[in-house]
Parts: sequence; C-alpha cells; structure tokens
Amino acid sequence: MALAKRYGTVTALSDLTLRVERGSIFGFLGANGAGKTTAVKMLLGLVRPTSGTAHVLGAPIGDRETRRRIGYLPELFRYPEWLSAREVLAFHASLLGTNAAQRTPDIARALTAVGLSERADDRVATYSKGMQQRLGLGVALLGNPALVVLDEPTSALDPLGRYDVRALLAGLRERGTTVFLNSHLLTEVELVCDRIAIVKSGRVISSGTREEILGEQRGLRIRARADGVSLHATLASFGDVTESNGAIVLRDVAHERTPEIVAALVTARARVYAVEPIVQTLEERFIELAGSP
Amino acid sequence: MITIAWMTVREMVRRRFAIAALLGTLALVALTGWGLQHIHTIHKQHGVALSPLEVRAVTAALVPLIAYLFSFILAFAAIVLGATMLSAEIESGVLLPVLARPISHGAVVVGKALGLGALLCAYAAISGGLEFAVIDAVTGYQPPHPIAAIAALAALAIVMLCLTLAVASRLQTVATSIVAVVGFGVSWIVGIVASFGPVYHNETLLRIGVISQLLLPSDALWRVAVYQLQPVVLVAQFGLSGWPGPFFVLSPPPPAMLAWSVVWVVAVTAIAVRSFATRDV
Repeated sequence: MALAKRYGTVTALSDLTLRVERGSIFGFLGANGAGKTTAVKMLLGLVRPTSGTAHVLGAPIGDRETRRRIGYLPELFRYPEWLSAREVLAFHASLLGTNAAQRTPDIARALTAVGLSERADDRVATYSKGMQQRLGLGVALLGNPALVVLDEPTSALDPLGRYDVRALLAGLRERGTTVFLNSHLLTEVELVCDRIAIVKSGRVISSGTREEILGEQRGLRIRARADGVSLHATLASFGDVTESNGAIVLRDVAHERTPEIVAALVTARARVYAVEPIVQTLEERFIELAGSP
Repeated sequence: MITIAWMTVREMVRRRFAIAALLGTLALVALTGWGLQHIHTIHKQHGVALSPLEVRAVTAALVPLIAYLFSFILAFAAIVLGATMLSAEIESGVLLPVLARPISHGAVVVGKALGLGALLCAYAAISGGLEFAVIDAVTGYQPPHPIAAIAALAALAIVMLCLTLAVASRLQTVATSIVAVVGFGVSWIVGIVASFGPVYHNETLLRIGVISQLLLPSDALWRVAVYQLQPVVLVAQFGLSGWPGPFFVLSPPPPAMLAWSVVWVVAVTAIAVRSFATRDV
C-alpha cells in the first residue's frame, strides 16, 4: 500500500510506491524538498508513515531485527567528536550485537573499505567533512549488511572520494548487497545505478532503468548542404525541422530511420557532413520531469 | 540500553565534563570552608568569642543554605545534561545512525537516564561527602543525617532528569531547558508559599503544596533533605517562632510522598520512553 507522510497540512510524501530488487543499486532522485529523506527515514522506521505500509528485506518497515541487516548513512551525518573512528565503529558494532571475536576484523574491514585505516585512532573532531562522511560510510558497512541505505553519500567528498565511493558501491553489488542511493548528483546515479526512481512533491513520477526513464531517443542533428535545394522541405516528411548553430535539428524521429533520412538527403543532392543522434542525458530528462509544473 | 548508558558515562568523562564539575565543586567546597572559618571570628558583645557550641549552632543554621546551593547545582546539571543528551543529539543528527540500529528508541532514553542518573548520584555523593567533611573539620558540626540528605538531593536530581528527558523527547533543547527550569522554580516557590499553611492552619495552602509536590516532587525531596540536616533543637526553636523561612522545614513530607516520588520517576520515565518511541526523528 502506497506510503504517505503529512506534517500537519504539509504533505512530505504522498502515494509512494517502490520496488527495489535485491542485489541491485537503486537510485532515488529528486530535487531538494521532494521527500527523498523522508522516504528513506520511513524505510528505516525513523519516521512513521501517516498511511500505507511497506516491507524492507521481507519485514514490515521499522522491524527491529531487520535493522540488524541494514546499514545507514544519514544526509546530516555527525558522529561523536570525542571518539576516534575506531571507537565510533566499536560503538556501532556493539549496538549491532556483533560478537567480540568478529568485532575487530569487522571494524578493520570497514576502515579499509573507506580509506580511514591510517587515521583510525584520531579523534573525529580532527577529521575533515569528507573524512567524517567516509566514517559514516564505514558505519553503514559494519556487520556485512544486506541493504545499505545511503542518503547523499558523496555530498562532502572531492572527485577522488566520489570515485572511491562508486567503486565501493560496485563492490557491494558484486557481493549481492542491495544499495538504496538517495542523491541529487545525477552523474553519480547515472554511473552506478541499475534502476532509478524520480520523486517530485512526494510522489514517484518516473521509475525504471536509465534507458526506460530516458525513453526512446528521438531526434537527429544533421550537418548537410545543398545548392539551390531546401533541405527543410526534404526532411519535413520525417519530423519537425528547426535550425540550431548552423545544423538542422530534426525532432520526433526514431534513430532507426537514420539510413532512410541520409538516403533522402543524398537523393536531394545534398552534401552530408554529419548525422548525429540527439541523446538526452539523465540530467536533461530529470529537469524535464522534475522541473515541469 | 547498557551500551547507551556506558557511552553516556564515557562521554561525560572524556569530554571533561566530570573533571570540570569536580574542580568546580572543589572550589565551591573550599569557598564555603573559608567562609565557615570566619564564624570563629564572630564576637559577641564585650569582645567575647563564640563558644564551640555556638559555632556549631550558627553552622547548623547555615548548612541548609549550602544544601540549597547543591540542590540547585544538581537540578540544573540534570536539566542541562538531560536536554543536551537527548534534544541536542536529535537536532545535531548524532542520534540518527544510532536509532537506525536494532535497538528500541525507548532503550536510548532509558540508557541515557541510567548513565546520567548514575553520574548525578555519584556527583551528589562526592560533593556532599566532601562538603560535610569540610564543615566538620572547620566548625566541628555534623548534621544529624547527612547520608539521608545526600540521598534525597540525588533523588531530586533524578526527578529533574526524568522530567527533562520526558520534555526533551518532544521539544528542542532550549524549550526543554526552559520548561524544566520553570517547573523546578515554580515547585520551589509553591513549596515556600505552602509552608505558611501549617503556621496559619490554612488548609488551602496545604492542599496547594501537596498538589504541587504530586505534580513535581522536587520540592518534597528538597524538604526531606533539609529536614535530615536540621538538629531537633533547631526544629523545636523554629517551631516556636512561627514561619521558619524558606530554608528550614518544621515537618518533612510523609513517607507516602517518598513512595510517590518513586512512582513518579517510573511513570515519567515511561512517558518519556513512549513519547520518544512515537516521535519522528
């Protein structure tokens, strides 16, 4: 049943329906205030839905035992500054109920995975924002979780750090871990996610694979010249013709028709320099969907 | 729950809150010792110094004031720590990854209550023990039941801690602190007003006092503490002279009120747990 969350008269989330396949990386996209963080917190039982039900790893949301198998990095991450990274991880291992023998190697593994082994015994107060985010990722990876929920995991990281996180996510997928990635960094989502959902005003407005969300790519950019012949008239039968930066833009035409179009241009004695498919990026599609009223 | 309690204690120690409190207390105890030392320099008419008995009598009259100072410190420490460890940690986001772990939200509240409660009790015992030792060393005066008084003051701190945690489970840090401080202040003032009841045989005032203590037993526990510190002779003397003032108690709250304080602590903690468990974070 679709999840909804209202705070008084404000609707943070309405009619949220999602299905995330196990072992995949799921990207949850949306503009600021779209309801992404509310949705994530709801899945973790930190926010109670006003209506609706959902299951995570086969159990109702908020189920305490299931939370043992979930790692979480919040958007507003902050860890006790008076502890070292190793102590923060030990505290979380203790909350997870990890047995003493397993605790040390588990912590060492998490520290290595996020590149904090060298600074593991330094106090969090001495960490940069990026290092604190790495620590948050380490906390989320503790206990070999079946599901990792990451809310804006690279917001404080430099390009190198972002690259590391993408590699980390790929590694998690290889191990069969499901990743729920909440982000508005579209390139990041485009590069790593198997499936994507776009949320707007608390409602999922598009979901599927990247290709499904982008839809059929329709349009060509043509650079061609012909003496005394109007190519616009030749191409008008294929789609809408406009001109941009000295090129003819043919919209609303399937890429499969490219040979047919080139043949028509050649028949019209045009000199064809280039025919490029117009490919919409996820960012363009996102702006089109999320930006429209 | 134990993990949270232990972490709370560690935080207080590692962030040097505990050492700051101890250093502050040492300074306070030294200051009161220095002040009490001056009782020996008081001279009666014709330049006659006070006898040891008179020094002890003056000290006995001053001890409740010192006890009030410690009750104030304990109550405010409970309020500040309770608000900081719950409201402020929610606001800063420190609690988010903790609450996503397989522990109940209630365990977080109870864990923090246990950790802070243990620290407040330890502080009451150490600071109270130290103060009474210094008073004894300087003036030779020993209050009748110092341990019972310290226990009552520690209980007062626990009451204020539970109130603060219950409020902090819903409100932000500043709002929580204001509500708790106002609660403590109102309870004390109402206690003073109600103390006129027995003197003037005014049933309404007595009833108001009881209702106030039922709502927030901090004043009842303060009165228990003070009563344990007053020599019988002093109580009898004040009893004859009418209203004893805000720092003396002619008769302590009944044992039923102490039992109610225990029930109150359990009930308010349960409310805090329930309130926090149903809160969105």
